[in-house]
This record gives sequence, C-alpha cells and structure tokens, in this order.
Amino acid sequence: MTSGRMRQGAILAAIWAALIFAPYWMPLFGGYTALGTRVLAIGLGAMSVNFLLGFTGVLSFGHAAWFGLGAYGAGLCLKWIAASTPLGLLAGTLLGGIAGGLLGALLVRRRGIYFAMVTIAFGQVFYYIAFQWSSLTGGDDGLRGFARQPLHLGFATINILNDATAFYYFALLCFAIVVGIMGFILRSPFGHTMIAIRENERRARFLGIAVELHIWIAFTLSCFFMAFSGALYAMVNNFADPRMLHYSLSGDFVIMAVMGGMRTFWGPLLGAVVFVVLQDYISSITVNWMSFIGLMIVAIVLFFPRGLLGLLRQRKAA
Amino acid sequence: MKKSIHSLTPDRRTILKGAAAVGALQIASPFVIPVWAADAVKIGIANPLTGTYAATGKNEQIGMQLAAEQINAKGGILGRKVELLFEDSTSGDAGTAVQKTRKLIERDRVNFLVGNVNSALAQAMAQVSNEKGVLHIVPGGHTDPITGKDCKWNVFRVCNTTRMEANAVSTLLFKTYGKKWHFITPDYAFGHTLYQGCEANLKKLGGTVTGNELTPLGITDFSAYLIKARAANPDVLVVLVQGNDMVNCLKQISQFGIDKQIHIAGTQQELEAVEAMPPEARVGVWMFEWYWKQAASQPGLDQFIAEIRKKSGGKVPTARTWFGYVTIHSYALACAKAKSIEAKTVAKALSDMELPPEVKLQPNKVFFRGGDHQLMLSAFIGQLNSKGDGDPENLFKVNSVVAGESIAPSIADTGCKMQMPA
Repeated sequence: MTSGRMRQGAILAAIWAALIFAPYWMPLFGGYTALGTRVLAIGLGAMSVNFLLGFTGVLSFGHAAWFGLGAYGAGLCLKWIAASTPLGLLAGTLLGGIAGGLLGALLVRRRGIYFAMVTIAFGQVFYYIAFQWSSLTGGDDGLRGFARQPLHLGFATINILNDATAFYYFALLCFAIVVGIMGFILRSPFGHTMIAIRENERRARFLGIAVELHIWIAFTLSCFFMAFSGALYAMVNNFADPRMLHYSLSGDFVIMAVMGGMRTFWGPLLGAVVFVVLQDYISSITVNWMSFIGLMIVAIVLFFPRGLLGLLRQRKAA
Repeated sequence: MKKSIHSLTPDRRTILKGAAAVGALQIASPFVIPVWAADAVKIGIANPLTGTYAATGKNEQIGMQLAAEQINAKGGILGRKVELLFEDSTSGDAGTAVQKTRKLIERDRVNFLVGNVNSALAQAMAQVSNEKGVLHIVPGGHTDPITGKDCKWNVFRVCNTTRMEANAVSTLLFKTYGKKWHFITPDYAFGHTLYQGCEANLKKLGGTVTGNELTPLGITDFSAYLIKARAANPDVLVVLVQGNDMVNCLKQISQFGIDKQIHIAGTQQELEAVEAMPPEARVGVWMFEWYWKQAASQPGLDQFIAEIRKKSGGKVPTARTWFGYVTIHSYALACAKAKSIEAKTVAKALSDMELPPEVKLQPNKVFFRGGDHQLMLSAFIGQLNSKGDGDPENLFKVNSVVAGESIAPSIADTGCKMQMPA
C-alpha cells in the first residue's frame, strides 16, 4: 500500500516536472513552446471527455461542440466586449458549459449508442449555426480579429501575447487549476457515485442513487471543463472556426482518451501528447499523416485495449 | 517518468522493454535530424495539397520550386541558399492553416511566408504573420479585404482581387449574354466578395440578379442549386465556384443540359479545372489570370513553358504555376533591391516594385502597387475552347489581355489604409 502510494506520488511528481520544465527540454527534441501550449489545451479537452467517458461510463460524441462554443465565447468576448484574457476564458467557459448543461438535461435519459447519436446531432446543430451565422462568427472563414491580452496583475504586467514561454506557464496554471478541480471531484463521494454508475447502473439505482441527476451533473461539469479548454485553445491560435465544433473533432478527443487509457486520470493527456505531436511532426512530411495515427489506433485497440497508460499500470499490477 | 518507475520497482521485463524503446527511438526518432543549415533563407509555404484546391496548390508548388532552383543557380538570395518548406494547409480548414503558419514561424523560424490558395485561409494566415511581423505573400487567395480594408504592411498579393475579376468580365458578359444573372457562389470569403463585386457591376449596368446560390466549399452535388437556377430563368448562369467544385458544377450543368438553355459564364477560370472537365463541359466566357499561349512573343516565356513541362510531367504551366514562380522571384528581387532580408526593409522594396520581363511573362506593366500591396497583373479574357482547335493543350481562346491597372479599383476604393511600422 505505502509503496503503491509512493509510486503514485513519484509518477505525479514526474508528470508535473515534465510539464513545468517543458519549455526547456522540448527544444532538445525538436519541439517548440507553442506546441506544448497546444498539447495542454487539447489534453485538457481529452481529459474532460474522459471525465464523462472513463469515470461515468457515458460516451459523448459531440463534445467538440462545447469545445468550439468555449472558443467562440472567448473570441467574441475579446473582440466585442472586453479585451481581457481572464474574462474571455470565463465567457467561453460559461457559454459552452451552460449550453451543454441545458442540452444535457434532454440527453440523460438516453444510454449507449442512442446517447452518443443524440450528442452528435446536438453538436452538429451548433456547428451549422457557427457555419451559417457569418455576420457574428465569420462563417467558414473563421473568427479573426481578436488576440489574448497581456495580464495586468496590479503590481506587474505579464505579456502572454508575445512571450510564448509566459503564455505556456499561464496555460499550465489554468490547466493545473482545472485538473485539480477534476481530481477533487473524482475523489469526493460524488466522484465515487459516478464510478458506481459506470460499474453497474442498475445496482446504483437500487441503492437509491438518482442516476439521471448524477449523469446530468457529470455531463454538465464535463461541458464546463471542455468549454474552458476550448477557450484556452482559441487563445493559443488567436482564432476560432466552425471545425472546432464538428463531430470529427469530438472523435479526435475520444481517440486521444482511448489511446491514452480511458480508465486512468492522466491517460488522455498522454493520448493528446501522442496525437498532437505526431500530427505536428508527420504532417510536415506527408499529407497522409492521418494514416499513421490510424495505424497506431488500430494497434493500440488490438494489443493494449486499456490504452498506453493502462498498459503500464496493468503490467505493474501483474 | 519512466525512470522513477524503474528505480522504485526494478523488473527485468520493464528494463528490457525500456532498452528496446530507447533503441527504437535512436533509429526512429525524427527529432534528432539537425534543422536546416543556419545560413539558408527559409521560405515557409502553407498551401493546399489535399482537397478541392489540391491541383492548384500543387501547381503553385511547382512554380515555386522552379523559381527557387533558378535563384539558387544564380547564387541565391544575397549569397544565401533559398530553402522552401512546404506544409499542407488543407483546402478549407482555416484552423489547420493557422496551426501550420504558427509552426512554420515558431518552429522552423522561416524568413518569409507564402499562402494561401483559399481566401479564408489566406486571411487567417495574414493575421498570424502580421502578429509575428513576418513578410507574407498571398499567391492565390482573391478576396478583396486582403489588400483592401484588412491590408497590412507585411502582406502582399500576387493574384487578382475579386473586384478586379468582376470588373474584367462584367461588361463583356452583360453585352454578350444579357442582363438577368443567376449566381452559384462558394460560401466563404472568396465567394462573398466576388459576388458583391459582380452584383455591384451588374446593378451599375442596369441588370438584375435572379438569385444567388451559396454552396459550401467542397460539395460534390450541385443538382439542387442547378434546378433552382434553371427555374429562375436567367440569361446567364454565373459560376463562381473554383477547384474541384468548378469541375463538378460544370459537369452537372452539361449533364442536365442547362448550357443549352442558359448561357454559362463566370469570372475566374483555371486551366487545372478545365483540364479535368469533359470536353462538353468546357463552355462560356471567362477570364484567366495568366495564360501560357500568348499572341505576342514574350522574353523567357518559351523557356518557362519548357522548364515547367519538365517538372510537371509534360503539362503546360497554368496561372497557378506562374503565381508560385512570381511569388518566390518577388522575394528574391526585393531582397536584392533592399540588400537585406529584414521584413520591413524588404516590404519597402516590394512596394511599387516592377517585375522584369522574364518574371512577368506577359505584355503589360506588372508591379506591386505601393498603396495596397496588390500586384497589378493582366487579365486574359476569352472563351473556353472545348476541343482545343487542333492543339489539345490550348483550351482557352484569349480575346484580349487587359492591364491590371485598368480593372483595379483605386486605392481609396479598396478601403486600404496602409500603415508601415516605424
């Protein structure tokens, strides 16, 4: 038990050390700081999907909608309302989270494939709204004309706009806060209830757990996390476009979660690292980069069904 | 992370696997390859290599490669070798184009940027290049704002603006075919401003628009739009879509026999699209932005055609090949003029720079207008040749070559207020 806890502590320390020193070690391997920031934002999205998929056992195939709404919320806020990075993040999180929460109430009565299909349908509704409403969203051209703003802390100003490293640490701080909240929820009695529902929904119901309510709360929380990661991602690129809401991106997030290991907390981050870095690197060499990711997914699903991190854990336990 | 696991629970299998993984990394790791020689001038290109604009993007690539070879054969840019870095931006995904642009600037540290065929992607890239202060030439995205109300000190454009295209053919279409026009327009930046330009010209001439069908980029089935267009009974069906969309649309027009009932025409037409069409679909009055078969002989033109044939499997150059060729040569010429590769100095040298005959390869004066950074290139106006008139490669009959200055709106009308940084 104690050695297990020690190992867990060591792994956590290693993950955070890797993240904190990323701007220093990544260039040695051909990486660059902006890539690290992108991994953080996308990784947070994959962890949000997994919050629902891995810990409540509900597969949403429309989570990109909340990601994209977060991005548009942040972009529109920065462009039209106030040039403030924290306010933009808040606006994006609220837009995506509230929209997700409202629609979630309609979704929770469905299970399995039906749930997944309805989430695709709702997601595509938002995709087409973003596509068609050109005057507000810029349509297919995407939303331009906004940029993250330097942080004014009263005593100092941090220029996260032009200093890539400063922005990385800002993104890492955001990431740490959200991941902290996620971890806290999963350790709480509510988190254990989510896992109980995942393991056996009927038994949970017989125990007197309000299953629909719990799934709805988990879904809504996951939407808020997702929208936050979308808002952060909009600031990585200073750009948002309708494809950020498209179901194919939802699929990418699910792939990252499955690839990394969907029963583990950190797995989706590992999945996102692999996905984003491979895409970044291979797409410079060949236009068929997706084939390589596809092959990798096939291999992982066939040989390591618990994902990359699940594999490490399983071997240790054996 | 791995190391901490090892130290806590050493286990032969893990160590073996770790060793194998490290070994594999040594062979497979792409990251240990050293980056480009530090003294090369790097030009980063994010352009479509897949999707509806793949053919046009690849031809621009061939033109750029030829230009780079010619420049390097003559000693490069200020004695430094020119290196081209290509990235696939996709044909319509602006998010990917932004990501690739950031990668070229932040990872590869390119000196100059080129892109994009798609107007929307070009606009999105221009925002990034401006944020980073990197000189950027748009080789083939036509929408007005790039050198209009969104013009930027670091962004230049080689191809026409949509307004120039509309101006080039509107009067001719009106006189030849009639005053009731119906439009098929791609639903993004390029289509929107091209339609606005045509509509404004038509209203000025006293014509009417019977309808405008907005089609999403990359669709393959135009039947619903074509049936609506036929029902509206216009004099002319003006097709504004491009790339594979143009091929599909004109194919379906000829399958439905619409070209027998209504005149088919448009503004911009490209050899890539015409080559991909069946002969019966090659109809209508159009403009090309550059054409290889010219009435008057041009210095360097025959050599250019011969060189491109060698690189493209025997095919003749298209306007896109020429765009790519002009883009890279423009950088080299401006750097030579500025004696520097620093963005602001080169931008100043590019402003009002005239292209020499062996680069412009056409009759009229061709130059980057200083006020909006727009290249003033000629419009080749004429009719599609369905069978090629004895020369199967000559699919377009040029009636007139109009100087760019005469069809371009004045700088005040473009809405551009150019501000060079101090």
